[in-house]
Amino acid sequence: MHIFEGFLPGPWWQIWFAISIPVIMYGMYKLNNIVKEHRELVPLLALAGAFIFVLSSLKMPSVTGSSSHPTGTGMAAILFGPAITAVLGTIVLLYQALFLAHGGLTTLGANVFSMAIAGPVVAYVIYKAGMKANINFYVVVFLAATLANWVTYVVTSFELALAFPAEVGGVMASFKAFALVFATTQVPLAIMEGALTALIFKYVVQVKSDALVELKVIKDSTLRKLKGTMS
Amino acid sequence: MDRQAICITNILDDYALLSPLRYRNNYLKIGIVTFGLLMGVSSTSPITPILIALSMFLATVLFGAIPVRFYLKLLSAPAVFVLLSVVVIAFFFGTGGELFGFDILGYRFSINTGGLNMALLVLARTLSGMTCLFFLALTTPMVELFSVLKTMKLPDSFIEISMMMYRYIFVFLEVAWSIRYAQNVRLGYRDWWTSLRSLAMLCTTLFLRSWEQGEKIFVSMSSRCYDGKLVFFEERRPIRINEMMLTCLYVAAITLVWYSTRDFVFV
Repeated sequence: MHIFEGFLPGPWWQIWFAISIPVIMYGMYKLNNIVKEHRELVPLLALAGAFIFVLSSLKMPSVTGSSSHPTGTGMAAILFGPAITAVLGTIVLLYQALFLAHGGLTTLGANVFSMAIAGPVVAYVIYKAGMKANINFYVVVFLAATLANWVTYVVTSFELALAFPAEVGGVMASFKAFALVFATTQVPLAIMEGALTALIFKYVVQVKSDALVELKVIKDSTLRKLKGTMS
Repeated sequence: MDRQAICITNILDDYALLSPLRYRNNYLKIGIVTFGLLMGVSSTSPITPILIALSMFLATVLFGAIPVRFYLKLLSAPAVFVLLSVVVIAFFFGTGGELFGFDILGYRFSINTGGLNMALLVLARTLSGMTCLFFLALTTPMVELFSVLKTMKLPDSFIEISMMMYRYIFVFLEVAWSIRYAQNVRLGYRDWWTSLRSLAMLCTTLFLRSWEQGEKIFVSMSSRCYDGKLVFFEERRPIRINEMMLTCLYVAAITLVWYSTRDFVFV
């Protein structure tokens, strides 16, 4: 979810920039290293970014009838790792602000933190932990994408709560209020995105599994096991 | 079914490419927008942001020749998020006399003057921020902004990726649109479960398409001597005297209002 332009006051939008910029710099540093070694990856990364953009602009079928959009960050983090997802996510957020009027420029720092940093990191950690614990691949993907989407909303609620603390009870009280409004309504949508991502991975494994091995998403042995259970 | 049916809203870039303000100085436009954004977000009364919003609205609609109906439709996009958050702020923020309240399950919910002031201020700031953003988005296509990004000394690989991404966003939107259309006429979005399956297939195809396209484009670019840098022509557009005067007038007026209304409270 995007915090819209002008919504965050005074020190807070600067603070979120100050937190996000070092992470993005680290991401760019890693990106530069990868690109220096494998020049052929530049177009691939660009197209991955375009893919995230288009993915996040597709309407999901939702239970209530209202339409909503996947964040796409969970899937990107599993495929490309959190550092590169952070950089690609930042460009996507900039384009969303300029093409679709979603989000904003002063609030870009806060949005980058919630959507391009917090969500992907959670997805990546869950994915790695789940794979290590030998849980079913699709279940892990589902969990990672669902929680990445949901965490984005929790972090956004937290960002709003810090900027607008309640008079009685301070940050915690207004965090509860924002979380009640945003994070609870998001639960069904988060589950939707998880299911969608798991289904996408199922099709990718069926059609072009070597891409996943090349990106080091799954090991050859796991892939053989997955294919074995399917046929 | 048109492109809107699969995208969030219209792509503002389409309008920017046709805008009469497209060929004006980029730095002037960015300067005006940055000034508006910073003034709006740092104001302490709702008057300055509303004035900025009004000026930006008039500038976009009159000089930028954007249809008013379309503009208002765009402004309604953030409405749900903004209204929900503003209500939360009104109830939980600030002190002062109680204006309105009710009881739910023994809890007292009330709006006081401080909360209402804050809510109105945030509403006005968001309005001014969004109109500034629309001014930039509806008059300056991304192609023009790349040269500005280059002068900002961002890493080459970052700009390179942004530019190629920009190009392929539109290619993939077309692909997504045609697949969606084909699925739709075959009743692929008949009910909830079918829609989920169709959408997953669409995304998979997109992913595979982008993977294959990425390999192809590198080959085709290398064969045209691509060495990691895309260089393009940048046109020089001097600022005209009447533009400069209008901008100075705007900056002076907003600064004056900002200074004189800094202690103003609404209720």
